[in-house]
Amino acid sequence: MSNETEDGVRDLMLRSLDRIVEEKAEGAAQKADGKPGFPAALWTALEEAGMTALGEENEGDLGLGNAAALIERAAYHTLPVPLAETILARRLLAKAGIDIPDGALSVAPPSANRDGKAAGVPWAGSVAGVVVVTSPDTLALVDARGASSPGFNMAGEPRQTIDLARAKVVASAKLAEAAKIAEAEGALIRAVQMSGAMSRVLEHGLTWANDRVQFGRPIARFQAIQHLMAELAAEGAAGSASALMAVEAMAERGDRLSAAIAKARTGEAAGRVCAIAHEVFGAMGFTQEHTLHYATRRLWSWRNEFGSEVQWQAEIGRTIAAGGADNLWATLTAHG
Amino acid sequence: MPEFRFEPVDMPPAATHLRAEVRAFLDEEKAKGTFTPTVGAMVAADPSFSARLGARGYLGMTWPKEYGGHERSALERYVVVEELLAAGSPVMAHWIADRQSGPQIRKHGAERVKKMILPEIAAGRCFFAIGMSEPDTGSDLASVKTRAVPVEGGFRVTGRKVWTSYAHMAHYVIALVRTGGRPEDRHVGLTQLIIDMKSPGIEVRPIINVYGSHEFNEVTFDDVFVPEDMSVGGIGNGWAMVTSELAFERSGPDRFMSTYPLLVEAFREIGESPNASEAAELGRLVAHLATLRRMSTSIAGMLNEGKSPVTEAALVKDLGTTFEQSIPEITRRLLPLEPRGGGNGQVYDGLQQLAQMQAPCYSIRGGTREILRGMIARGLGLR
Repeated sequence: MSNETEDGVRDLMLRSLDRIVEEKAEGAAQKADGKPGFPAALWTALEEAGMTALGEENEGDLGLGNAAALIERAAYHTLPVPLAETILARRLLAKAGIDIPDGALSVAPPSANRDGKAAGVPWAGSVAGVVVVTSPDTLALVDARGASSPGFNMAGEPRQTIDLARAKVVASAKLAEAAKIAEAEGALIRAVQMSGAMSRVLEHGLTWANDRVQFGRPIARFQAIQHLMAELAAEGAAGSASALMAVEAMAERGDRLSAAIAKARTGEAAGRVCAIAHEVFGAMGFTQEHTLHYATRRLWSWRNEFGSEVQWQAEIGRTIAAGGADNLWATLTAHG
Repeated sequence: MPEFRFEPVDMPPAATHLRAEVRAFLDEEKAKGTFTPTVGAMVAADPSFSARLGARGYLGMTWPKEYGGHERSALERYVVVEELLAAGSPVMAHWIADRQSGPQIRKHGAERVKKMILPEIAAGRCFFAIGMSEPDTGSDLASVKTRAVPVEGGFRVTGRKVWTSYAHMAHYVIALVRTGGRPEDRHVGLTQLIIDMKSPGIEVRPIINVYGSHEFNEVTFDDVFVPEDMSVGGIGNGWAMVTSELAFERSGPDRFMSTYPLLVEAFREIGESPNASEAAELGRLVAHLATLRRMSTSIAGMLNEGKSPVTEAALVKDLGTTFEQSIPEITRRLLPLEPRGGGNGQVYDGLQQLAQMQAPCYSIRGGTREILRGMIARGLGLR
């Protein structure tokens, strides 16, 4: 799938993101936690590095693969910017043939859009445009600045409600199955983010278990802790495998089932990973002062956004059942 | 910081054709009534079925032709294996020989032994059992007491092995024995010997398992002669042989497909329009299965490239056995098990009951969950 040059490009990009984080994002997650506003300097740095306009369809596999790698790493760093949302919005606008505005963008989760209000919209009030699904097969780009009421998810990331009657419609276009596409692509992106955040939690946990001394030895030496951490690693690995699989399948063939599987599996893994990490950290990890919660609160939030794991599990179940019991295996093995 | 990435594998083009071929063969077998799909993966055994697989070139697939193999890739073998398991077919007779003993003999066996045994395995006529556990040796494998004393031209073996699956059907057992040192010497002085089950001095006694089936045995060796060249990997290298063997057999589809036939029957019973909770519970299982399959094929790709994904393999077995154990527990919440008079439901009922009773063994065989978690912890740098 990816050759050495492509891997090299991706590697450079990820290292350059790490450098930006080091130079411009120290304590960023903490500063942004539960506060309105927008980390403009950090965003500009990402934009100047060409990281905010990746993943559009005409770039093919490499485009989405690179975008996903970047989104995963940004989530690992718990960066408080709408990078994933901007990449998602640009992909949707490109599909609908709507001109893509400059700057940060966002997407309104289709299932939280009813009665003239779009709820749970990331950074709605501070981005240049929000992609809103206005009918099952219509996408609109709206400017919601001045039409959004504040709100936050569990991680203190802006999740606002747009009064659609007051938002300015910049453009609108037909796109077959717009709602379904936006849901699936949104689910994919949150799954990729969860994969990144889970690897951060694993890293935190391993460092802690090796450093923390109780009963005269690092708690990593206790079998109870070892088994918990093994389970955490296994769940994280499964989540990341499902997300990687979905990135490929969505890039290759817009495979909705793969996105459903990824959101269902990462969402379930996230719950277990957070529970185990907090168990291992004890009271220390349960404080505002500790940094663990920047990753765990994001995981608790993201597993609900763009459809919880239960909603996606049900869709998978309905899809397979409708195809008939004897076709399950053929479906699982259809693409190698 | 350990990072586990399960990259995609490119299945060779021949794999697609092969998959269709195996499916057609299995459909034919089912139509003829030669087997009824069952749960357990490595439980049902039928030597004549194994012989038919051998005749079609589905055994010893990756081995050189000079040893009766078919020189196909590990990924092609993967396709055959997962198709056989998905169909719930009776693969156990040849399973150990094809998966584990044959490859070990090919890599570490003497030339005479390779020429004598490998073609027979590939033909589906020669079956193996594994003699690792003993009455006082379970997870702590280095404590084996069975002794092999050097004599003219070979060894004399005395001791007792337990939980030896299908020893009553096997032509050979590969036994982990002590050729030097004492049990306290642990990993030092252990050797793997290929022992012909027809040798004088071997007694096989059935051990009936919890659901009344004869799968494993107690095997006693009383001064059994084993020719010198029947060791695997040389004298004193048993520990290295055993650990490498176990590490690479933990990530295959047999570690998560054991109750797959029950999942299919649950879908059939529930029908094409599940309610919300049925859809979510079954959908969750499918999400797990698809993910496990990705992880497992990815590891097959790593092994094909000569890498040693030991921790990754342990992760798959831990997740996989938990998954296959969960299928009967979850499906019984959706489809209460009450005796039914007749109809198709009987297939589901039968598999459900068997799976419930069988499930405990999935996380015991091939390394217990607790041993695996210890290995994962080692891979994570915690011990």
